[in-house]
This record gives sequence, structure tokens and C-alpha cells, in this order.
Amino acid sequence: MVEPMDQLSENFDSDLREQLRPRSAPLGFADRVMARVAADRAPRPVRFPFGRPLWRWAAVAALVAVTVLGGLEHDRQQRIAGQQAREQVLLALRITGLTLRQVQQKVDAQEKPLSDKENQSR
Amino acid sequence: MRVQPFEGAPKVDDSPHQFRQIVERHQARVYSIAFRITGDCGVAEEVAQDVFLELHRNLRRLESEHHVAAWLRRVACHRATDALRRRAARADSIAEEYQDGMALRPAAREFIPLMNRVEQLLLTLPPAQRSVMLLRYQEDLEPEDIALELAMPLATVRSHLQRAIKMLREKAQRTLKEYSRG
Repeated sequence: MVEPMDQLSENFDSDLREQLRPRSAPLGFADRVMARVAADRAPRPVRFPFGRPLWRWAAVAALVAVTVLGGLEHDRQQRIAGQQAREQVLLALRITGLTLRQVQQKVDAQEKPLSDKENQSR
Repeated sequence: MRVQPFEGAPKVDDSPHQFRQIVERHQARVYSIAFRITGDCGVAEEVAQDVFLELHRNLRRLESEHHVAAWLRRVACHRATDALRRRAARADSIAEEYQDGMALRPAAREFIPLMNRVEQLLLTLPPAQRSVMLLRYQEDLEPEDIALELAMPLATVRSHLQRAIKMLREKAQRTLKEYSRG
């Protein structure tokens, strides 16, 4: 492959052209390029923060949503139950107050004739 | 050989089959540029593969085979020079080696049996001169086209060519004398 230098010095320009003709690429070069191109074309897995795939983040989000919604529903039911209990207590108090008033009226009605008799006797 | 742009030519097909044909058509040109600038088979293959991969990513922007060839020449020169700079940055300054006529880097010296005399002499030139010489003598481009492809003033291209040829001629004659003396 090494050319004698005398040839090189005689016609330098054409020697340059001759010796700088493109040389063959290594065997299998095109195959290796195509393999890299194929690897480059293949869709890459999407990177997520902390290296977790999307479905894991979706599961975490669903769990949080269920927990929050469950908590809210639980609060709502507690509030409704509390309201019902309050209404029942108020009803009971109203009934009790009414009953007491009726009893008081009866007691007052019975006590009034007695006091009239006592006044007459004096 | 002047590079004439194709007017109204269809864009280059980037299907695997077509791209393989492009690789096979231009692999010798790209590999030779990379090898003759870096002086290392392994680095040259790596650079050439990178150039084709980059071509694949940019293929849709190129309008014709002429553009592809010009793009490959330009990018191969730049990437090979970049690889050379990276290696030079790792090793001691390569500039010191240029000062010493035929002195080559140790890595290049290992591959001397694979290189012809002109390729060996070419490695003693600064990278910019190597690129210009390769485009002139390997790719057979006119100085005007070299200036366009390397985005370099025409005067600079001519100056690089003159200096490189003068330097190569001197080195060749010096080597011839040493060869004759035995």
C-alpha cells in the first residue's frame, strides 16, 4: 500500500488524487449503521419523575382520589346523622315542653279551687 | 465537480430500504474523510456511524442526493475534526507534534501499516488543512465548492490548499531523501 516516494514527487497533484481515493468502509459498516438507526427509531420508554411509569402514578392518583372522596362522603354522612340527631333532640324537647306545660296547666287548674276555698274559710 | 442544487426535486425518502442504499452509496466517502482526519480506524468508524445517524435524523430537511452528499461531506469533516480535538484535549497538545515533521500521535502510529504514504503525510497537517485537502483531492471539489461546504472564505481555502501542498511536497521530498540514503 505504501507507494514509492519518487512517483509521488514527479506528479504530485495526480498522486494526491490517486492516493486519496475513497477507501472502502469496514465490512458490515452499513449493517451497524442500520442497527443504530433502528435503535434510534424505536420508541423510548417515557421517563417519569423518580423513574416511575405512568400507570403507577395513575394508581397513586386514584388511591388519593378514593381516599379524599371517601373522607368527604364520610363527613357528609356524619353531618347528616348529626343533623337528624339534633332534630330528634329538638323534637323530644318540644314534646317534653308541651307535656310539661299541659301538666302545669292541670296542676294550676286543680290548685285554683283549693285556694278559693281557703280564702272563703278565712 | 460543482455542487448543483436540484430545483423542485422531491425530498429524500427516509424508509429503511432507501436509507440503507444511501449509506451504502456514501459510506466510503464518509469513512475515508473520518479516517484521514482522525488517523484512527476505530474513531473513524464511530464518527462515520454518528454522521449517518445524524443524517437519518435530518433526512427530511434535505432535498436531493446532491444535498445529501454535500451534507455528509460537511458534517463528516466537522465531526472528525471535533473527535480529533476531543482526543487532543485528552492527550498532550497535538500542536507540538505538528512541529515535528513526520511525528504522529501514538494512536496514529499504530495504524501506519494501514495507511498509504499520502495519508500518513496528511496527518501531519493541521485539521483545517486536512479537511480542505480531502475535499479537494478525495472528493474532487473546486475551491469555490469547498468554501461553500465548509463555510470558509474562498481566500482561506486557497491559502490552506497552497500551504498544505507546499508542506506535503517538502515532507515528501525529505522522506524521499531519507529513503534514498537508506
